[in-house]
Amino acid sequence: MRAIYSQTLYWIAVTFVLFPILVLLGIYMRTVQAGGLAGLDAWFYPMMTLHGVGMVGVWYVASMACAANVLAKYVAPSPAIGRLALVGTVIGVVLLLVCVFLGRFAAGWYFLYPLPFKGEWPAWAAVVFLLSLTVLGATWLVWSLDLLRAIASKYSLSQALGWHYLSGSGELALPPAVLIITVSLIASVAALVAGVVVLVLFYFELLIGAPSDALLMKNLIFFFGHTLVNLAMYLGVALAYEVLPQYAGRPWKTNKIVVISWNTVLLIVLVAYFHHLYMDFVQPGVLQYIGQIASYASAIPAAVVTIFGALLLVYRAKMRWNLASILFYLGLVGWAIGGVGAVIDSTISANVRLHNTLWVPAHFHTYMVAGLVFLVVAYFYHACQEASAAPESTGYHKLLAALLVIGAYGFFLMFYLSGAYSVPRRFALYPAELGHGAVYSGIAAAFAAVFLLGFVLYLVETGRRWLKAVQAA
Amino acid sequence: MRSLLMPALIFTLALAGPARADPAAEGKVLFEQKCASCHTIGGGDRIGPDLHGVAERRPQEWLLRFVTEPDKMIAAKDEVAVRLYEKYNRIIMPNLGLAENDARALLAHIQAASSATPPAAAAPPTPLRMPRPQLIAPQSTILVAFLALAAVIIAVFAWVALSTRSPAEVDVKKAYGVRKIFFVTASVVLVALLIATLPRAPYAGADVKPDRIVHVAARQFDFVFSDEPIVSASDLGRVPTIQRLELKAGALVEFRVTALDVNHGFGLYGPQRQLLAQTQAMPGYVNRLVVRLAEPGQYKVFCLEYCAAGHHLMQSGVTVN
Ligand code: HEC
Ligand code: HEM
Ligand SMILES: [Cu+2]
Ligand SMILES: [Cu+2]
Repeated sequence: MRAIYSQTLYWIAVTFVLFPILVLLGIYMRTVQAGGLAGLDAWFYPMMTLHGVGMVGVWYVASMACAANVLAKYVAPSPAIGRLALVGTVIGVVLLLVCVFLGRFAAGWYFLYPLPFKGEWPAWAAVVFLLSLTVLGATWLVWSLDLLRAIASKYSLSQALGWHYLSGSGELALPPAVLIITVSLIASVAALVAGVVVLVLFYFELLIGAPSDALLMKNLIFFFGHTLVNLAMYLGVALAYEVLPQYAGRPWKTNKIVVISWNTVLLIVLVAYFHHLYMDFVQPGVLQYIGQIASYASAIPAAVVTIFGALLLVYRAKMRWNLASILFYLGLVGWAIGGVGAVIDSTISANVRLHNTLWVPAHFHTYMVAGLVFLVVAYFYHACQEASAAPESTGYHKLLAALLVIGAYGFFLMFYLSGAYSVPRRFALYPAELGHGAVYSGIAAAFAAVFLLGFVLYLVETGRRWLKAVQAA
Repeated sequence: MRSLLMPALIFTLALAGPARADPAAEGKVLFEQKCASCHTIGGGDRIGPDLHGVAERRPQEWLLRFVTEPDKMIAAKDEVAVRLYEKYNRIIMPNLGLAENDARALLAHIQAASSATPPAAAAPPTPLRMPRPQLIAPQSTILVAFLALAAVIIAVFAWVALSTRSPAEVDVKKAYGVRKIFFVTASVVLVALLIATLPRAPYAGADVKPDRIVHVAARQFDFVFSDEPIVSASDLGRVPTIQRLELKAGALVEFRVTALDVNHGFGLYGPQRQLLAQTQAMPGYVNRLVVRLAEPGQYKVFCLEYCAAGHHLMQSGVTVN
């Protein structure tokens, strides 16, 4: 338990270093799109790739680290595997940096087959990219499996999934966080196995020249990417279930409804990814319809059980508001609003007008930045504050949160407006017909800078406590 | 050096003899297959420069080297190559693995085509200020619905946050009653939306009888239109292509979209510069996109799937009249 905790402190440091850099890349991209960095625009696509893979990776490991720290309260994850996860992630990141900066690799965060082999970058860059993903994927698979093993040493699978609540024998209390983490880890294993299959197919082509099927690869890559991003979000929600009650002074317990809801989520998350392939008209129609039905269905457990549960927890509670509880609360708002944007986009007839426009980054940045990031940094603050017990100023914390919220939502709004105006995503520069995209980009860059300012102030506030926590550990 | 090269060229051409009866004709096919995605001859700049009269602009030797290994020349900081690279969006012309003979055939074709066509008229300057884009339905509905729902979410969260100023016990039974109502309402709304929207999916049935079928082959970085299928790069230069696509207003048109290299997106933008319809262009598959373009005007096609450095430059036009 102590070992996992000190590893969590390392993960916090890794996140604090990498995240601001990746945000800067985001600001750089918006500035290029606004026409403001004429000399540096050739780096747009490599930086887009680094930002996308980097952000998804950072927040996946950050949420996994928090989950491991929560689990360590109830079960015993292996410290050795925890160290392996840290080392493997660092190696993977170094390889990623090499292929992007030295090889100008730029196939995007979902590297659709066969683009990695057919870009303007050298072949070795694609190989290093695949190696990077292999190291990361393998490490994270082992990490997920170890956390599942730790859970299994105390709970049977059916207990960890809370099935005993359904049969009415709720005498074994299951913390909701453990239930959600179990669901997320199962999804994680499924996603990473799909990722491994994708990598193997890429290697087949590299080594023995056996080409793959573009549609099959697209299915596998989106299953991998969609599931990975969603489960990271769920891990963030698990943190809210675990910590928010401490600030509300009320319990948030597992019950039948919570169990049904999260078991449904597990089923739904595995098929909702079909909504990424709506515009592949050759995909069997029934899968398209399943995609929309599953995406809609996923809104019910999220809204009716988790969001409603959180609101009920806070409603007229004797809340202790500080940076942690404010950000947890705001994180749920971001998840809900981003979710609305996602459900709209998952409507096939709307997707025709929105697919691959900036509406897509609009909604996923909403629930990643204002959802997952808020939840995880809330937990980081909470953990460091618990260890350091430094004095807090609620007024200052509200100011910090306001900066983050204004910066983030101003930035998102420009994405949403651009999306509604059909401005495509992933355009380094906008053609004359879509020149309005450049205007939104400029405004978005300014808002993103406000967000970064807020985050730097958050870093100072949390970093001080982190130092004390490190000294104490 | 140059004076030596010409006889050498004639000599090699002579040696190639009957096998290479007409290098310009061979070069034409190669050009369609490997160069036309980025270059025109007398049709104006695209991803790369218009090659009209390039043989007069540059020494033969330089051209041969540039066409066979542009990447190495840029890496070696060749002055002209670097200047071109800076001018053309810093996109490195790909090394297409051409042999010197291919390069010669290509240059012969470029030379022949240059003397047969006048240079491109200066492209009409793109207006600095485009008219304001309009928000059309359903995009407008989507935006309004989203903003309205977001406002409701913010209001509810704000109300609950404010309620913590006057803490009190909460009647959980009553709250569960509210939750039940919320559950039923949300489910009914979602099911109703499913019933309303699922039938509007854009997938064309097998029985559609379009007035016109247009085949589209997407490649890095252009769209090739034709009346006959193009399934592989070797069809280019053999299958006649449509240079300017014109469609009748109100006609039912089926685009059969495929890709020759990587995934691309076929995004059809109307005269309001709003996305009307799209489908993916995938290697090895043909997606059938059936649309009726009611309004006459200038339509645009943009690539809606990232396909490497020239992605944002990959576009085409359709005239509807
Ligand atoms: C992916 C796009 C692309 C393809 C395909 C391509 N080129 Fe280029 N070409 C360029 C770009 C861009 C430049 C400008 C130099 C640079 O940025 O590398 C260029 C420059 C040139 C030049 C120099 C022009 C001048 O004004 O001196 C020649 C000649 C040329 N290309 C010939 C060809 C031929 C022949 C082919 C086919 C075998 C071809 N290119 C295929 C993009 C392309
Ligand atoms: C405030 C911080 C952030 C800024 C300013 C920012 C900015 C951007 C921009 C400008 C793009 C390119 C949009 C386009 O397609 O034109 C982008 C893409 C992306 N961002 Fe962010 N972003 C931020 C945070 C995040 C976070 C937290 C994540 C997390 C998980 C994330 C994940 C991604 C991904 C996956 C892409 C897609 C990359 C691709 O298309 O290959 N971003 N971001
Ligand atoms: Cu394309
Ligand atoms: Cu593209």
